[in-house]
Amino acid sequence: MPSPEDTDILDIMRADLQRALKKPRQQRRWAMAIDLKKCIGCHACTTACMSENLTPPDIHYRPVKEEELGEYPNTGMRFLPRPCMQCDAPSCTQVCPVTATYKRDDGIVVIDYERCIGCRYCLVACPYGARSADVGHYYTGDFHTKTYEVENSGEYGKTSKRTSHWRSPIGNARKCHFCIHRIEKGELTRCSTTCLGSATIFGDINDPQALITKLINKSNVMKYKEELGTKPMVFYLT
Amino acid sequence: MQIYGVLIPKKEQISGYLKEFQQGKGGVLVYLSLVGLLVGGVGVGCIFMLGHGHTINTSSYVPWGLQISTYVFFALVSGGCIFTNFIGNMFFPHHYRSLASRVIFLGLITAIAGFASLASELGHVERMYMFLLSPNPTSPMFWMSVWYSADITILIIEYIHIQRRRHSKGMLYASFVIPVITYCSLGSLFGAVGTMPYYYSSLLPIYFLFSGFLTGNALCAIVAAQQSRRTGNQAAMKPFMRMQKIGLASVFVLTFCRIIVGLSSHQSGYEIFRETFFQNVVFGMLGALVGPFMILMYRRTSAALIFSSVLVLITQFLARLDLVVEGFRVPVFRVYDMPERISYFPSIFEMLVVVFSLSAVALIYIVCEKMGLFEIAETIKGGH
Repeated sequence: MPSPEDTDILDIMRADLQRALKKPRQQRRWAMAIDLKKCIGCHACTTACMSENLTPPDIHYRPVKEEELGEYPNTGMRFLPRPCMQCDAPSCTQVCPVTATYKRDDGIVVIDYERCIGCRYCLVACPYGARSADVGHYYTGDFHTKTYEVENSGEYGKTSKRTSHWRSPIGNARKCHFCIHRIEKGELTRCSTTCLGSATIFGDINDPQALITKLINKSNVMKYKEELGTKPMVFYLT
Repeated sequence: MQIYGVLIPKKEQISGYLKEFQQGKGGVLVYLSLVGLLVGGVGVGCIFMLGHGHTINTSSYVPWGLQISTYVFFALVSGGCIFTNFIGNMFFPHHYRSLASRVIFLGLITAIAGFASLASELGHVERMYMFLLSPNPTSPMFWMSVWYSADITILIIEYIHIQRRRHSKGMLYASFVIPVITYCSLGSLFGAVGTMPYYYSSLLPIYFLFSGFLTGNALCAIVAAQQSRRTGNQAAMKPFMRMQKIGLASVFVLTFCRIIVGLSSHQSGYEIFRETFFQNVVFGMLGALVGPFMILMYRRTSAALIFSSVLVLITQFLARLDLVVEGFRVPVFRVYDMPERISYFPSIFEMLVVVFSLSAVALIYIVCEKMGLFEIAETIKGGH
């Protein structure tokens, strides 16, 4: 395997992905590492995600939090991208009354758009604010919707368009799903391919050879709100 | 089973009242609540036809708003009616018994009105059958739905038993235990959410039980005061006066404990208790609890009981809205230009849902009362 020093990081992650896809699904554990030193706060991941998943207004699967650290004159700034943490012990799946949201055997927490009753209990329970309610807003208004607003986003491999209330994400909870529709086709998550600073690393942490496994085994790893016991699978490298 | 005269008024009572209604003698409150039901119905219809995006002001940051708080309010009123029925039967049987069918009927219609409000909040109410097809036993909401269904079922059975004079002590206990579990489940639905400091508390299920008892008893007290005015039997409203004082004192203690626990915590998000301290103490405790208590202490008339009960119902309705909405004031994750504190004000459509639910309860109860549906219970001579 090529080392990170002499190969493009995307090529390494693609090789990791191909290796993981050869394994049975239950032997994979998808995770993400975000190097906060490399994140420049450009929000390219946020916009790329919106474009990939055709998210409506006010719904961002991967916003970037801008934090001021310290006190004047010793201050600094940090950018904290926040995808869904794909927790190992997710609080959202526990509270869903109809099992519309559940954790797959490869660790990704998904939402069944045809089962969700839209009670929003998962939004209340998620400590990361990673879930949003699709109430049916459009960027260009109700009567002049553009194709990109109603087109099928391909999320979860579904084919229904966002046109009617009955068989579309409208009325449901929505969240980041690690671009499940892309990784099953052998493509990396959209945020990791768009990251200008190569700060987003995606892969299978059950693979000891994977780049992500090597990075998160270092000491400078932080998990967001880890104390809540949700066992998040997004690792922040500080 | 006899339906007319038990579940619904007798045919001649219905036709007699309809004639009066057509002649404009149906009663002002009936016409008012009918208008409210129609106007509120238009609002509910708009929510379903136009969708949430254009009608309600809840969002990803404030996922639950006025409709959920209205549901909680009515659900707790329903539970409170049942507790009132139990305590009335156990401790004040002679004064209470003639009102039993009215109290249980109120419990039933408020539970259904609450569900109507909840249904208008759900993104996909048509998928409610999923509760049967793919239930999740780890979810407090699932258990609440199970117990809520059991609660309504037991209420219907209890109501039929009272109307048919076949009331049993076993049913009385069942109609107390099941609502206790139901409304504790509702409390745990909120209280178990560790991410929301304003909700997260083991006190919340108990708080829900007692505030439910307070509001349910307040509604029953209005009916009791009206009945005692009609019959001239002032003693009939005494149990309700006493129960309301107990309810006010209990909720005062629990509200105090909840505020103290919240204020003493230094964890992130608990600052909401400091920020809402003034409104909780001045409006939530002094205005909503101490005020009605003082009225009942110094004035023991039916007018005072009605006034304090209406005050309790209004303030507790606002307290439910405060409980549900203030939980989201401090965002769990702030990004971009999001404000430090999230604000929410209900839309006109959300308010119309409240009008719809209130009007439905008022209209159904008053019409059934005017038709003489509950007269049968007043002739009960036997005891439990």
